[in-house]
Amino acid sequence: MSMAQFRPADAVDFIVVGIGAAGGVMAKELATAGFRVVALEQGPWRHEKDFKHDEVAVMFRAGLTNNPKKQLNTFRKTPSDPAQQQQAVEYGCMVGGGSVHFTTNYWRFHPEDFRERSVLGPVPGADLRDWPITYDDLEPYYTQAEWDLGISGLGGSNPFDGPRSKPYPLPPMPVKSSGVLFERGAKKLGLHPFPAPLAIISEQYHGRPACVHCGYCEAFGCEVGAKSSTLAALIPAAVKTGRCEVRPNSYVRKIEVGKDGRVTGVIYFDAGGREVFQRAKAVVVCANGAETPRLLLMSKSNAFPEGLGNSHGNVGKYLMFDSGGFAFGLFEHPLNEYKSVVVTRVLHDYYRSDPKRGFYGGGGIDGRFDYYPAGFALAGMPLDGPQWGSEWKREIGQYYTHMSGSLGHASCLAVEQNSISLDDKVKDAWGLPAMRVTFKNHPDDLKAADFLMERQKEILLAAGAKKVWADPTTLGEITYSRHLMGSCRMGDDPKTSVVNKWNRVHAVPNLFLVDGSSLVTSARQQPTATIQALAYRSADYIKRGASL
Amino acid sequence: MKISRREWVLAATCWAEVLRAQNSHSNQLVWFNPADAAEIQAIAAQIIPDDDTPGAGTAGVIWFIDRSLAGYDQDKQELYKRGLAETQAKRAELFPGSTSIAGLSNEQQTALLKAIEKTEFFQQMRLHTILGFFGQPVGLKLLGVQHEMHYEPPFGYYDAEVARGGSK
Repeated sequence: MSMAQFRPADAVDFIVVGIGAAGGVMAKELATAGFRVVALEQGPWRHEKDFKHDEVAVMFRAGLTNNPKKQLNTFRKTPSDPAQQQQAVEYGCMVGGGSVHFTTNYWRFHPEDFRERSVLGPVPGADLRDWPITYDDLEPYYTQAEWDLGISGLGGSNPFDGPRSKPYPLPPMPVKSSGVLFERGAKKLGLHPFPAPLAIISEQYHGRPACVHCGYCEAFGCEVGAKSSTLAALIPAAVKTGRCEVRPNSYVRKIEVGKDGRVTGVIYFDAGGREVFQRAKAVVVCANGAETPRLLLMSKSNAFPEGLGNSHGNVGKYLMFDSGGFAFGLFEHPLNEYKSVVVTRVLHDYYRSDPKRGFYGGGGIDGRFDYYPAGFALAGMPLDGPQWGSEWKREIGQYYTHMSGSLGHASCLAVEQNSISLDDKVKDAWGLPAMRVTFKNHPDDLKAADFLMERQKEILLAAGAKKVWADPTTLGEITYSRHLMGSCRMGDDPKTSVVNKWNRVHAVPNLFLVDGSSLVTSARQQPTATIQALAYRSADYIKRGASL
Repeated sequence: MKISRREWVLAATCWAEVLRAQNSHSNQLVWFNPADAAEIQAIAAQIIPDDDTPGAGTAGVIWFIDRSLAGYDQDKQELYKRGLAETQAKRAELFPGSTSIAGLSNEQQTALLKAIEKTEFFQQMRLHTILGFFGQPVGLKLLGVQHEMHYEPPFGYYDAEVARGGSK
């Protein structure tokens, strides 16, 4: 069946703004349930044949991500600093969004993540809150996501995980040398490494071919469709219903609201720059934790003069970033980490917050060495050695294949002044107010990342590394993030949250926000599984007859 | 593993961004004038020297930099103009009587670049030189990468060791 085509004047059942990790789930779930859906995506619609191993194009020329030269943003650490033009957020900009180019770590949040405030009490300088839902509420939807998308892993292998109703649908990916060494070091220290749950299929699944270990997962699109992106796994099913129209290159500038305060549709610029008003009975915004609040703030109306859903001033606030540093180790024999998936072993021993450490938080640690060649030449060598010239050139050839490393995934606290707002001077290429990012880590974020770094180095040393070092550029206050969480957070109280426990905007019954923006805490990063589980849960609520 | 499917995506499509610049040059510079190109080439060849293995000169990095400045990195043109002028001034100061960077001895070029290595211009040139070199097969070869579209385990020494039933 060819793709549905709807006229803008026809009020479709749902508009999905941004068809990425969450939007792909919403489009597929709603269309297969019989709803008519228009999905508006600011990026292009690429396919497997369009992806290639071109590091310069993909990594250095915003090949698959938001283009900082068109989508300008400004950054400041605190509201009293002047905002400077500087890229602070990066996200997948295409049909499939971040699920196309992500590294594919796919771990679940832990049961205690949803009630840390009750367990730990308040944290000074932050606004730590319980979620309005529990792990048990979300568990069926984690399972649905894992089976619908195709996740490889070994259920029950992580002793710190919450209970699971089903195993993973696919066995773990073959362990790499980084995973073998990580496991060796961790076990010597009495820790509990486990096979990484990954959104990459280790065997043929739902008609998609298994991974060919080409090594270009992180930041790249998969050329065989083995990465379980919504592009490969869900969007074809949505389109096949004949009820879902995907419109790429469509840049939404405003959600329209009627006199009654209900959403009536959205205004967007099409590929030719023409303004289109698409009508709809309801709108689901899945534009990510940075663009979703920006769009709400741009959607001012008589009913919502401060921006849609912003009657209590919460839209954009409590933004959380990814946190944690890289440790590296040089080993005697070649690992050839440029082959196959990025991560094959993870540990959660330091995940839970421990008051004895004297700070909030903790993190997950994975074994990985994820530099591509040019990125490695630029920044991968120890900074105490030469960075150009003959000696550097000789050393770099000896290091690249013999290195392993690990990445810490540290907690990031919700702080009110960390936010997305509209810049009052700078405009994007469409003439719209640029995104202004305000972000300064809570001191406990940095303590957690530093704590993890020491553990990461211990593991590499225990694994037998000849030389171990930290990448200092990945520690300290963060000014740039790919994980955009918490800017329209979920809660029961409309005065302190933007969406309710079904991801519906408190004051607007026919508007849902389904993406990283609704996360109440950052847990320990790697949020995609949770974002997609929330999407399945919200879609299920709608399908079960929520009155809109 | 069955992968008779699509060995299709050939290496030819892999480094398009760099090779498009390098292969289509037909000796026509787009943005640099020939004199400046020779100077930039000399700096690039200090960053990645052509010594016992190929370097920036052999790899034709100058063509990548030229096309980048005419295209994606147009906003770096002023930095190159200003940076090259300042580097020439530094050259004249360090080596009175010299007339070009390319005309300096190897040791003089190294000394000149050490004197400017903290500048924004040098860092940008290092970035461009690295992209133009490591963004194509010659750079992968230097790192010991045997680039293929498909690998099978074991991938490295340590997972092979475990697969053989050795050390865990």
